[in-house]
Amino acid sequence: MSEAWQKVKRFKIHEVWPLLPAAVYLVGFLVIVGAYLVGLSLSFEKNGVTVFPTLRTVAAVVSNTEFRHALLDTALFVIVGTPLELAVGLFLALVLYQQFRFRNFVRSLFLVPLAVPALVTATLLFILFDYPGGHVNFLLTGKYAFFPAILHAPVNWRGSEVFALGISMIGKVWRDMPISMLILLSGLNAIDPELFDAARTMGAGLRTRIWRVVLPLMIPSMSAVILLRSIEMWKEFIFPFILAGKYPLLGTLIESMYNDWGNSNGASAVAAILVLCIVVTTLLFLSIMEFLRRKLVRT
Amino acid sequence: MADVVLKNVSKRMGSSQVIDGFSLDVANGEFVTLLGPSGCGKTTLLRMIAGLETVDKGDVLVGGKRYNNLPVQQRNLAMVFQSYALFPHMTVAQNIRFGLSIHKAPAETIRRKLAWSLDMFGLSGLEDRLPRQISGGQRQRVALARALVLDPDVLLLDEPLSNLDAALRDTAMEELKRIHHQVGTTIIYVTHNQVEAMTMSQRIAVLSAGRLEQYDTPRAVYDSPATRFAASFIGSPAMNFLNGAVEVHGEDAGVMTPVGFVKLDKERFTSAKAMAGRSVTVGIRPQNIAYAEHHESKRYSDTTLSVSVELVETLGDRSLVVSRGENGTALRFLITRDIDIEPQEMVEVFLDGRRVHLFDPQTNANVFSF
Amino acid sequence: MSTIARVKSLPVEGLKKALWVASIAAAVLLVAGPVYMLFKYSISDSTSINTGGAPIPLWPYHPTFRCFTYLFSDSQFFGVITNSFVIAACTVGMSMLLGVPAAYVLGRFRVPGRRLLLLGLISVRLFPDIASVIPITEFFIRFKLQNTYTGVILAHTLLALPYVIFIGMSAFEAIPDDLEQQARVMGANGFSVFFRILLPLSIPGLVAAAIYTFLLSWDEFIFAYFILGLGKISTLTLFLKQKLAFSPPQNLLAAISVLLSLPVIVFSLMLQKYMTAGITTGSVK
Repeated sequence: MSEAWQKVKRFKIHEVWPLLPAAVYLVGFLVIVGAYLVGLSLSFEKNGVTVFPTLRTVAAVVSNTEFRHALLDTALFVIVGTPLELAVGLFLALVLYQQFRFRNFVRSLFLVPLAVPALVTATLLFILFDYPGGHVNFLLTGKYAFFPAILHAPVNWRGSEVFALGISMIGKVWRDMPISMLILLSGLNAIDPELFDAARTMGAGLRTRIWRVVLPLMIPSMSAVILLRSIEMWKEFIFPFILAGKYPLLGTLIESMYNDWGNSNGASAVAAILVLCIVVTTLLFLSIMEFLRRKLVRT
Repeated sequence: MADVVLKNVSKRMGSSQVIDGFSLDVANGEFVTLLGPSGCGKTTLLRMIAGLETVDKGDVLVGGKRYNNLPVQQRNLAMVFQSYALFPHMTVAQNIRFGLSIHKAPAETIRRKLAWSLDMFGLSGLEDRLPRQISGGQRQRVALARALVLDPDVLLLDEPLSNLDAALRDTAMEELKRIHHQVGTTIIYVTHNQVEAMTMSQRIAVLSAGRLEQYDTPRAVYDSPATRFAASFIGSPAMNFLNGAVEVHGEDAGVMTPVGFVKLDKERFTSAKAMAGRSVTVGIRPQNIAYAEHHESKRYSDTTLSVSVELVETLGDRSLVVSRGENGTALRFLITRDIDIEPQEMVEVFLDGRRVHLFDPQTNANVFSF
Repeated sequence: MSTIARVKSLPVEGLKKALWVASIAAAVLLVAGPVYMLFKYSISDSTSINTGGAPIPLWPYHPTFRCFTYLFSDSQFFGVITNSFVIAACTVGMSMLLGVPAAYVLGRFRVPGRRLLLLGLISVRLFPDIASVIPITEFFIRFKLQNTYTGVILAHTLLALPYVIFIGMSAFEAIPDDLEQQARVMGANGFSVFFRILLPLSIPGLVAAAIYTFLLSWDEFIFAYFILGLGKISTLTLFLKQKLAFSPPQNLLAAISVLLSLPVIVFSLMLQKYMTAGITTGSVK
């Protein structure tokens, strides 16, 4: 019936005009972003003279050691952070998948990290990982009765590349874990509980049930998490900006090139490369998934 | 108020012909029901009159005016949807006032009509309730009130009672009939429920697959169904059908069927004789088959058949007997509750030859009604 | 839990239960711990922060709201909050003005190529913020919109508009066709149908979209930072960033953070339904 009605309201240009302002706005900015990004990356400025089009800016960026270092660090950030997000999200989702008394309350609680602004989370980590007198240092050097000493002396977390990027990653994973959790939880909820019972009647133990029933059925939602989270990891800016200022990732490199060096061409080139990285990762991931799917179907 | 004329209207939806050359005329002030199974196109027809569906071919005339391309909001019609479509964010009174305020009726008129409708539909005291705070029956009355305050030329009702429980439905039918008497608006009513159609309407249009099977008074539709479809769709329990051929044996004309020779009414001997040799489908309602032992006397036109009882279903005051004739042909008939018949029993029944309908097996048209 | 297993091995069941309780506790601690810490710092007195080598207490020695009273008596801070509020409110206004009509069309009409159209509408958001902020800042510099309210509002509207369109669209879609048709049969034109039927019925969804937009602008950092810099107009996020650079007392940082996040947390929990729906359909980042 509703299909029939929709037919009466078939597309008529004079009825669709309310769509136009928003469309013009969004598409207009899309054009601006695209055009400026390409235009600036392909321009080179020297002594007040701008050359366009040229690959000199891109070449200069690519041969820059700081850029190479940032690219490598960002890639590591993605490679380590994405599985971490998946693991934490899966843990929370499995907790919520159970039935228990305060489930709804705990569910709401688990959404809180997403509601805390990233800048605030970063600030909090800034405080907690302070050197020498932050909570974390006191905890790990055994200053609290309930926790054993792991370190002999406080660590200057923000002063070390690995740790600075590490706590940035912790912040990012902590803040975004509700997203992974919700996607995985909806994946879990989509599994018919009768499947578990069916597997159990066939004598499958818990381990078999997880490996042979749950995991295969979770592949769609898990790959969604991996895809979306890896994109987010590439894009990350706020956490490393606050916590790892001295050790740039691509995002923070864009900022410092633009604001500190006033190099808008270089910053745009890095931004364009960042977009490229995301596109390549996405395509790569999708083709791996497709390959695996074919392979699984064949055998 | 106005009359409604549909001239040869057709409608396609995708690849299916939903309405196929349909014609109907509804007189001013008449209560007409479009009756048919789901998917027969009755709701589509109603929506075409309302202007919610376009008309591919043919004309829709209301009060002599061609309505085909008139926008919905300019037609002076009212419609009650199956869901009632009460605006959930408006109170009962606001719902009723909505149409009037759209038409910019003066405040005095609005007040008067609101009072009238609340009184008419027994809604006083519910003015300030929201639709979700009132019962199903009350919602149905609000929907009617909201439609009628607009003084529509035609009131279109799309299965308005289907969401009510059985007891409520009976009172709602009486009420609808009373309201039609009082306001006299032309009503076109869509339903698949034959009891609603029979009880309320002045004429019934029986539809099947987008075509008109029969258009007549409830009584005529019941007594002389024009087609096999109309015969099978109307009446409860459903009519029995037997295949056979017309034969004449001396003074008697009848149909030779698998269960035996079914005699036809003596008064129509001449017309039956003219059909001799023709193959036909015999239709006879369960009401017109009598349990022989309890029948006072066999009439001349009655046919005696012996059948084996398969099942007895209690309907309350009567029981429906499902039985099988000699070679397994099913035959259903009614008995009063005081008769005791057991399954497997062999019993004799009388078929009332005056109530036999004959249909052409090819065209399904009635060829021998009375 | 099958009864057979329970009868067979009670100790195993007990262990399972302990493990299960421990994992809930760990999960709750993981989520609530940092939030608690933030709150704890914001009500800490200075002796609970500068402990002179002793471990920082898990509950302040002398809990106090001094940081909050200080902030609210600070006229600079007051100006900053006002800025954030004005920018967020204007962003809401503009996003709704542009987004609601679009959501109406997309939700109530069968527009050909709808999926492609939607993709086109959100594709500007597929760029990382940090990548699209450079072109937009450059564009704003050229048109003298840098360091202006207008610039930030335009940028925040760009960020929020796709969400408004998506949430609004599903709100409009959820209204049964019967209601709209009924109104039309009763003589209402498109205008009345929209303002008297569709709009009132989609209000809950639209309010959610508005609140979402407000929060998005309220805690937005990247675009505000590039467009406003650390210049004349400051917002809450920029104020916090500015303070961070001068390593101020940690309790003050925490107090600013609490004020920045409190409205977001409260409203997000209220809007849970919309947030989670958005995430699971993949329309939210």
